[in-house]
Amino acid sequence: MEILTSSELNYLKKKLNREPNLLEKEIVGAQWSEHCSYKSSKKYIKLLSKKGDRIIKGPGYDAGIIDIDNGDVITIHIESHNHPSAVEPYGGAATGVGGIIRDIISMGTMPIALLNALRFGHINSPFASNEIKTSIRTNNELHSASKWLLKNVVRGIADYGNCIGIPTVGGEIEFDESFTNYCLVDVAAIGFGKRKNLIKNIIQEDDILILAGSSTGRDGIHGASFASKELAVENRSAVQIPDPFMEKLLMEVTKEAIEANILKAVKDLGGGGLSCCLSETSANLNKGFDIDLGQVPLKYNDMAPEEIMISESQERMLYITNKDKLKSFAKILEKYEVPFAVIGTVKNHKNLVINKNGKTIANMPSHLIAYAPLLNRNGKKPKYIDDLRVKEISVTPPHDLNKTLLNMLANPTIASKNWIFQQFDHEIGLRTIVKPGITDCAVIKLNNNKFLAAKLDGNSKLCYHDPYQGTLTCLSEARANLISAGAHPIGIVDHLQFGNPENPEIFWSFKKSIEALIDFSNFNKIPVVGGKVSFYNETKIGPIKPSPVIGMLGLIKGMVGVSQIRPSPEDTLYIIGITSDNMGGSEYYEFLRGVKGGRVPPLDLQTDLNNSRIVLKIIKEQLISCSHDCSKGGLAIALAEMAISSNCGLNIDLDKLPNTCERLDFLLFAETPSRFIIGTKNEEKLENEFAKCKNLKYSKIGKVMNTGDNITFMAKDKKIINLEMKNAKRYYENISSIMKNQ
Amino acid sequence: MSHREFNVIVTIQNKSFINDPEGETIYHDLILKNQYKNIKSVRTAKVLKLVVNAKNPLEARSSVKKMCEDLRIFNPIVSDCQINLLCDNNN
Repeated sequence: MEILTSSELNYLKKKLNREPNLLEKEIVGAQWSEHCSYKSSKKYIKLLSKKGDRIIKGPGYDAGIIDIDNGDVITIHIESHNHPSAVEPYGGAATGVGGIIRDIISMGTMPIALLNALRFGHINSPFASNEIKTSIRTNNELHSASKWLLKNVVRGIADYGNCIGIPTVGGEIEFDESFTNYCLVDVAAIGFGKRKNLIKNIIQEDDILILAGSSTGRDGIHGASFASKELAVENRSAVQIPDPFMEKLLMEVTKEAIEANILKAVKDLGGGGLSCCLSETSANLNKGFDIDLGQVPLKYNDMAPEEIMISESQERMLYITNKDKLKSFAKILEKYEVPFAVIGTVKNHKNLVINKNGKTIANMPSHLIAYAPLLNRNGKKPKYIDDLRVKEISVTPPHDLNKTLLNMLANPTIASKNWIFQQFDHEIGLRTIVKPGITDCAVIKLNNNKFLAAKLDGNSKLCYHDPYQGTLTCLSEARANLISAGAHPIGIVDHLQFGNPENPEIFWSFKKSIEALIDFSNFNKIPVVGGKVSFYNETKIGPIKPSPVIGMLGLIKGMVGVSQIRPSPEDTLYIIGITSDNMGGSEYYEFLRGVKGGRVPPLDLQTDLNNSRIVLKIIKEQLISCSHDCSKGGLAIALAEMAISSNCGLNIDLDKLPNTCERLDFLLFAETPSRFIIGTKNEEKLENEFAKCKNLKYSKIGKVMNTGDNITFMAKDKKIINLEMKNAKRYYENISSIMKNQ
Repeated sequence: MSHREFNVIVTIQNKSFINDPEGETIYHDLILKNQYKNIKSVRTAKVLKLVVNAKNPLEARSSVKKMCEDLRIFNPIVSDCQINLLCDNNN
């Protein structure tokens, strides 16, 4: 494996005006990997709207910082650990959580919540379409990995968060054949702190660099460039082993040192190890570093300088303080028994100088290392997109809609995620206001009667059919989830995951996804506070589907109006928004009918905003008792979820629904965005409120019945669906049944 | 040839170049703190003791190996899996 491409090597030679040595090439190679340098994507990420009254720091830092008044701040970051998790799901997922927690600590805030978004190949489901069943049968070996990956990824995330005492409060999961024998593991962490305690990141000559935490070993060597290549067997030694207890100690050390005002700069060690950490810190803070590599605590004495510089051993942090405070800092580190070493000093030159045994073994300008030459990648619209859009699809209407709804409820992408979040300690820290599954998003208590709502959303099937509309739909869904809980959106984080960017068709999809982010964020004035790009997500059967994952944060002031999805008996149900019969990329087509293609439901930004505004308003005015967004699986699934969560039956009249659908199955399962279902006992006041809104499409669609009643859908005075609650529940718990014997 | 019972020991541990935080914690926080300075390192492992019906030692070993691989008892990317026959129960 070449460390640098020939043009990168020539650029480096020209800038250095000499031949770089092996160590220098390794340092630059780690930093210029796609994973660390964003060399393909940076030009486009820069176009994102980062401005907002609340934004203290936007993208480009370890975590975004949002001001939430009263001197309080929230930090958020999202990252993936796809490649490591695909080969070692337990360790890969756990170290992914570890990395994101250290990003939050580096800003001077303490992590208070974790979320995750996961994607796997199909796990065996007897309720899927014949096409999926056949694929699972014929590629049994590849598919058997999916359950193993799911089980161990969830265990890895749970163990790390649970050990360290940070609640995992929410998540999102999708199953699709494009992730067969692979997985996407995105984790997000939210931090909370005081604005005055944020790390200032201002350093002076003769300040001291301290490396603390685990000693440096051979684990994860070439991890960053590993994540920037397609998965190949020979790369598989790049796995990392988690040690959550060391991470917890680092958290405590940082917290105490911040309170004692000891730290001038903090940076975690992640992808690219010391190389990236030192060069980025040096370049960002505009100072040089003289490093004595001989001081770095090692696991093995015979490690070569290249190995020390690019090792990705986990649970390590870099701290910078001045000479006077070094003693007090050492005392804190010793108290927590965290191994540490002084590894260098800050200099006024602007180079990263690596010394060992009194000799300089690498010396390059930090800016040169930290800023890779950016690439101009070509984009070309994939032919398949137009083919899928205009494809003639003939799907016969199902005879038994009861069975159709049950099978849809059993679809692992839709079914209850109980089996997963039961493994997470979602309440530790005592900030979790609502448990997973109760609202559309997580709600965490802050202070001064403020609450934070958070959600991650993604939809690879829609993004495959149309990356622009698909990404808009993810953004709309994330906002709808926050709105359904009564939160006002304050920031977006994005994680854009694609295949090999050297393929112009994949790069085109990436650009479309960014365009959607820019349009949504500008139109709605919700700034992007951070993000990450992950390319080279390729499997044995080709690239993954475009998988942007959107995270959104919302603020709730005062507990008045935190809404739940659970209705109460006798509630009258309304729908806001119109249902159209664009079925492309829907779970109904793909999971149940085994069909790809068709038009993706378009999203109108103005309607989406208007509908969100009215829902937020009626929640704040306490006119409704429950609310739920309509997304994957459509109206029928949203209503069934509400019924299951309350254990109460429903009686829905489909004839009353505002729609342009020609068929009942489309009406039930279309995934048209910008729709909400709400329940109320205040019909009159609610309708008065609705009447004030121009162009609002809404209608009364039915009633919540009593405990134990059936879920009933009527059309033309006929019961077209009449489900027993216990039957619905049994299908909805399909993931538990599948994983029970794993 | 009739089947006999064999005691098979399966030892799963992280590969030598992969970290073992559990072993390190035992070493630093228990052994060294209690002054057992002659002990130089600790590596932890998972041990499965199996009783296997097989025709001969070779078959006992290969059937256990197959089982460990089929059921993903260990991840070959992270761990080494040693399979040892303890003794022949009939002896």
